[in-house]
Amino acid sequence: MSEENISGVVITFFSTASSVGKTLIGVNMASELARQGYRVCLVDYDLQFGDVANYLHIQVERSVKDVLETMNSRPDVPLQDCLTQYRYGMISFDVVPAPEFLDEAYNISADDCRRLIEKLRLLYDYVIIDTTSMFSVLNLAMLDLSTIVTFLGVVDFIPTIKNMKIGNDTLRTLNYDTNKIRLVLNRSDAKTRISMEDVEQLLGGGFYHILPNDFKAASESIVTGVPLVLGGSDSVLATEIRKLISRYTNRAYEEDAGLSAFDDEGENGRRKSSGWFSKLFS
Amino acid sequence: MQYKIMLVEHNRLLLEQLSKVIESAQDMELAARYQNSNDALGQGRVFNPNIILLDADVDNATELLQEFIASFPQAAIICTGEKWQADRTSHFIQSGASGYLIKPFSYANLKEAIRTYTTNGMEMDSQVMTFFSPKGKSGKTTLIANLAMALGRSTGEQVGIIDADLQFGDMAVFFNLEPQSTIYEAARDVSFLSPLELRSYFTKVNDKVSVLCGTKTPSYIDKVSIPNLETLIKMSKSLFKYLLIDVPAGFNPTSIAAAEMSGMTYVVSMLNGAYEVKHAQRALEIFEAWEDYRQRVKVVFTRVVPCNQESQRKMSEAIGYPVEAVVPNAYMVVSKAADNGQMALDLEPDSPLARSINYLAGRIIRQNDTGRGAG
Repeated sequence: MSEENISGVVITFFSTASSVGKTLIGVNMASELARQGYRVCLVDYDLQFGDVANYLHIQVERSVKDVLETMNSRPDVPLQDCLTQYRYGMISFDVVPAPEFLDEAYNISADDCRRLIEKLRLLYDYVIIDTTSMFSVLNLAMLDLSTIVTFLGVVDFIPTIKNMKIGNDTLRTLNYDTNKIRLVLNRSDAKTRISMEDVEQLLGGGFYHILPNDFKAASESIVTGVPLVLGGSDSVLATEIRKLISRYTNRAYEEDAGLSAFDDEGENGRRKSSGWFSKLFS
Repeated sequence: MQYKIMLVEHNRLLLEQLSKVIESAQDMELAARYQNSNDALGQGRVFNPNIILLDADVDNATELLQEFIASFPQAAIICTGEKWQADRTSHFIQSGASGYLIKPFSYANLKEAIRTYTTNGMEMDSQVMTFFSPKGKSGKTTLIANLAMALGRSTGEQVGIIDADLQFGDMAVFFNLEPQSTIYEAARDVSFLSPLELRSYFTKVNDKVSVLCGTKTPSYIDKVSIPNLETLIKMSKSLFKYLLIDVPAGFNPTSIAAAEMSGMTYVVSMLNGAYEVKHAQRALEIFEAWEDYRQRVKVVFTRVVPCNQESQRKMSEAIGYPVEAVVPNAYMVVSKAADNGQMALDLEPDSPLARSINYLAGRIIRQNDTGRGAG
């Protein structure tokens, strides 16, 4: 009985500008945690224009709308039975995709969404939530509920920085523990006219983690529908995402410790060990 | 020009009060004043007024207005009332009044009203445009800012921008403005403002373009109610020939209300190599609920490479809907401009970005000439 009450870790990806990589990083985090053998559920709470199903190339048969309907009308049905499974080789995790139709999305209640996460976190080791880029009722509820909020930002031009600052200040006024909010910079080396140091100074703190710009690898993964960390990508982005996750789980990334998507050499053998591992402990 | 004013005011106290305002003004002449409108109709012509301030706080205001228009074809008639009511005002304007003024008014109010209404009239045929984006990061703020400048420059008309992206409005940063007031204050005060007073809540960018800036902190978001936003938009229509509204991404009460009130809604998406086209398509499906959506919804893609007619044609085919314009990738020029509070259009007037924005401005102006898209 007691085990059923153990709550898993809820990680929300949040930002104050869109197109900063929330979905891509979220999808990869879910994949990598699943690869390490955890029970993972990825929830797309960008209800209107969510891209999780798009990025994973999954057909939406039961969206968040259907899951919530079942949760409300038939509480006896195990929630896992209503979720959509993403599978790549031996690795799998569950997904709650955004609704197919916008009117469905528009009519979903934030309170139902919150209750779903409260239930899911009892069933999974990790619940990963993708969001929209605003302080909505739903997002505020998710921020409250989360174990960790990954506040993702990019440094491109002044308006984005201003919004990152506003977002950061607002998160502070919500009085969360310092450790809960993790400021992660994405596409750090993209072409920009603004220095990262200036941004850190403005935000009043350094970035928790910095992810490199790898537009090619990211685009490729979106097109193929295979998350970077599963496709055996040795891109710098995949490497840094793994590193970020190892910091979240407090364990070093060990390729052998988790599952491989495929047992045959073909897929796995292409993986090269790169220099990042030693850097982890430096 | 010397203003010869005829004051018609049924309230004896107000008649005195308003007369004093006019009498003490250097550049105005109180040509005649009446407490009884029939007297004014019968006798007023002797004094040849060029401006009539007509008390509209009476039951038969509309009929009165029509009689005054018939009797004083040379004069501009400004209706006066103690409360601003958008519906009543727009009704008066449609019936031929030049404007509407809240009383009691100060000299400054009156002067501004006369200047505005006698030069432009109240622009009830103003063109209202909402810029909608499915997911944000659409390039629409850049588009709106530069488009407003282009419209102002090529028509000489007044152009207004309402930044209704209530959480992360970027207009102030874009234009490097330090607004004294924002949409939050305007919405708070709107129920007792007249359009002219509302004007002071807008921040001027130049002679032609003014911006009602977004809120400074996200916590204000629920302080701008939809009815107040609607009143703001209605009122702003009497101030600007072109009104451009920036709204938060996605379908939400704000973006829906603004789109409903607009003659034209632009669905703006930035191509980023992911699912932007699909999102635009799904957004269009929602707008199909409008019977006349084909006339009222236009699609614009930004960061289009290569940015040419061929791309535009292909995009139209891909979404099964005509693409109104394609805007090129101009990150460096836009960011350089935005960081300095300048417009890309001014920085590099011959750039592909400027060309594409001028093209779109031209389309909007022509729409106005042919009478389409009136809000």
